[in-house]
Amino acid sequence: MNSTINSKIIKIMNCILPVLMAFFVGGIVIAAIGENPFEVYWVLISKALLSLTGFQNTLHYAGPMILTGLAIAITFKANIYNMGVEGSLLAGGFVAGILGAQLAGIPAIPLKFICLAAAAIFGMVYALISALLKVKFRANEMVITMMMNYALAKVLEYLATTVFRDTGNGYVCTPIVGDNAMFARIFSKSRLTLFFVIVILVLVIMFIVMKKSRLGYEVTAMGKNFEFAEATGMHVGKTIIKIMLISGALAGIAGGGWMLEDQYRYTLTFSANPGLGWDGMLIALLGSHDPIGILIAAIFYAALKTGADSINMYANVPKEIISLIQALIVLFLAVKFIHEKFSFRRSAKKVKEA
Amino acid sequence: MNMIQTIDLTKRFGDFTANDHISLVVKEQEIKCIVGENGAGKSTLMNMLYGLLEPTEGKILIREKEVNLKSPTDAIANGIGMVHQHFMLVPSLTVFENILLGAEIKKHKCLIDEKTEIAKVQELIAQYHFELNPMDKIEDISVGSRQRVEILKMLYRNVDILILDEPTAVLTPQEVDELMVSLKNLKKQGKTIVVITHKLREVMELSDSVTVIKHGKVIGNMETKDTNEQELAQMMVGRNVILTVSNNNMVDEQAEIIYKADHISTANIFGKKVVDNMSFCVRKGEILGIAGVEGNGQSELVKIMSGLMETTEGTISFHGENITNIWPKEIRNKGIGIIPEDRYAQGLCKEMSLGDNIIAGYHSRKDVCRRGILQRKAINSKRDKGIKDFDIRVGDMNGTVAALSGGNAQKIIVSRELTANPDMLIACQPTRGVDIGSIEAIHKHLLEYAKKGNAVVLISSELSEIMSLSDRVIVMCKGKITGEIEPRDTNMMKVGLLMAGIHEEEKNE
Repeated sequence: MNSTINSKIIKIMNCILPVLMAFFVGGIVIAAIGENPFEVYWVLISKALLSLTGFQNTLHYAGPMILTGLAIAITFKANIYNMGVEGSLLAGGFVAGILGAQLAGIPAIPLKFICLAAAAIFGMVYALISALLKVKFRANEMVITMMMNYALAKVLEYLATTVFRDTGNGYVCTPIVGDNAMFARIFSKSRLTLFFVIVILVLVIMFIVMKKSRLGYEVTAMGKNFEFAEATGMHVGKTIIKIMLISGALAGIAGGGWMLEDQYRYTLTFSANPGLGWDGMLIALLGSHDPIGILIAAIFYAALKTGADSINMYANVPKEIISLIQALIVLFLAVKFIHEKFSFRRSAKKVKEA
Repeated sequence: MNMIQTIDLTKRFGDFTANDHISLVVKEQEIKCIVGENGAGKSTLMNMLYGLLEPTEGKILIREKEVNLKSPTDAIANGIGMVHQHFMLVPSLTVFENILLGAEIKKHKCLIDEKTEIAKVQELIAQYHFELNPMDKIEDISVGSRQRVEILKMLYRNVDILILDEPTAVLTPQEVDELMVSLKNLKKQGKTIVVITHKLREVMELSDSVTVIKHGKVIGNMETKDTNEQELAQMMVGRNVILTVSNNNMVDEQAEIIYKADHISTANIFGKKVVDNMSFCVRKGEILGIAGVEGNGQSELVKIMSGLMETTEGTISFHGENITNIWPKEIRNKGIGIIPEDRYAQGLCKEMSLGDNIIAGYHSRKDVCRRGILQRKAINSKRDKGIKDFDIRVGDMNGTVAALSGGNAQKIIVSRELTANPDMLIACQPTRGVDIGSIEAIHKHLLEYAKKGNAVVLISSELSEIMSLSDRVIVMCKGKITGEIEPRDTNMMKVGLLMAGIHEEEKNE
């Protein structure tokens, strides 16, 4: 048998197995509360993936997560752990929301362009801060990017409660985005908007960047063997800044898009819990940092979100079961991640060459 | 008594057979050498004997009893100890702590009884006549001493069969001699020793019997006294090889100087001067050898030359242009190719494909990269050409470098650097850990390259390699140049003195 095909099958199994395990354990829990797990899962699948409206809703939710998944993947692939995707997403969403409300008079197409461009730029600027600290001062990017998320969330909360507060509302939020800025729904029944077209476009571009371009090559080399990348003359610092900027832009666009297709205004629960940026991390891991993998993982993950409501309606199981399954996936993925990154048995496998 | 016997021992990794019905016998109190080219399956065999790998088929008999070794612990319990090529020691701990790691002697059930430990280790050192101080930290002692610690670690665990995997690969010539004495001593004290190597001189000097392995099969089992180096080499590669390719190019002494290092120095992270005021130059068509005992600043010198380390003083010029401390990428763009010291750390990325490795460092060039997009077809044809021109044995064209043996992996680097057609090549340890066939091929490529009027700087710890290839040799010791010699009319003795940092004038005083 061809060894490359063999290793590909193993790779795919590595991603599917955690999901199956999570569903298996989740099934036990469902059975324990006296319901038939197969029925519940059937509701989930049929409502989220097999019904036309349901599937369109699933794609709607998948959109921003595809982008954040890509934002995570391009840095993780280089062994740069950008935890600030959530921050970039919030920054992008906030800016898009403010501009969408303030500039409501501008025609629809330029306005959307301005909003998304501003979202991308703010996402990039936010990521650039960490990137510069990493490259110039060799700070640990995982710590900075992680902590800056909290600082940013507080700053945005302050801005939303003071300067940009929509006083006509009883809760903390910014003014509503003008209709001109909002992405139109494609079909009347579902939430899917034209923003998804942009998402797919970005996905195609990122596929080329990660798989075909020189940058993608350097990123892979850095991730797999840092010393080799340096010795063969790659400007590692420059590459880190480049990929952090790309990551920030992707997350910013994700935030902007989410604002202009679903949220209408910045609220304190804009990116929900655990947040679209964090979801992106799970999706990137589930999709093995591969653009196509990320697309599939994001759709799957969004299906869980859409399906959760249906489960509540059509089955006698609380929708928190979905959170449980999500958490289990994280847990089983972590096992895979730890095995990949810190595997001690690797050397034993490679003895055949000696 | 037969200490180790294997009967039809076979190990397969998927559809790849690493060991194919290996049958051999190691007798009590003998030194057995197992020789073979890289990728012949020597290490796989030893890993099975040490319980790191489980055989697919066949039996292992220890002291004429069949055993099933599931882990190194089982092997040690059966009296088999292994010293790996790469040492498994804790650098920040002392010698005795390393030896007793995992087998600490305790008092009051929980405290480590250091006094008894030191005494025990001291006793062990005395018993085997090893030169070691149990209180030294591993990070402060030489590679040879570290190896002795590894051996003691095994001896402390009461093994009577010692397996050493390429023990001399990391040692200086003097340390090799010391190791041989130690091993012969151990044999006298009743130990049985198995040594894996591909250095034939050591086989002849050290062993009682020898087994040749090729492509996972036993080619021959014989008494060392009944054979000779030539015959073994022939068996290993299956053809008559010229052990050394020698340099008969004539260099024009007036040829243009293209590379010049002027009083360069650098310090390591501890502030110690590791390259100290070195000046040298390289002419067109010349191979300049840099000899020296390893760890005397050669690695740092190469790092400076390849742009991975900065000089603190001095300048480097190439074609009359100052190239001090420029980026590795720019060094390559100026026309200097680099074969780095550690091929799996700096030269190749094991987990990337052959094609991706063959463009590394040159991946921005127009022929493989247009507008930031890599041209897969061009890369593949470059890969196929490299594989053909440099006779690289590859199982799967689309596979990774990790699947190649050391020699073939090294040829990937040589092919990459020479195909780019640089004006000068820095070749650092170009044949380390490489089989005889590949050594010969790489040497030929280097000579041919120099003959075309290009310059080569050859850094190697293999003195014979330096002496047979170079037109001119400078010798380094403690970061300084201790002398320059003509390899054709210098004996090894003089080089040895220079390597030890002794100038002739000083000796005469």
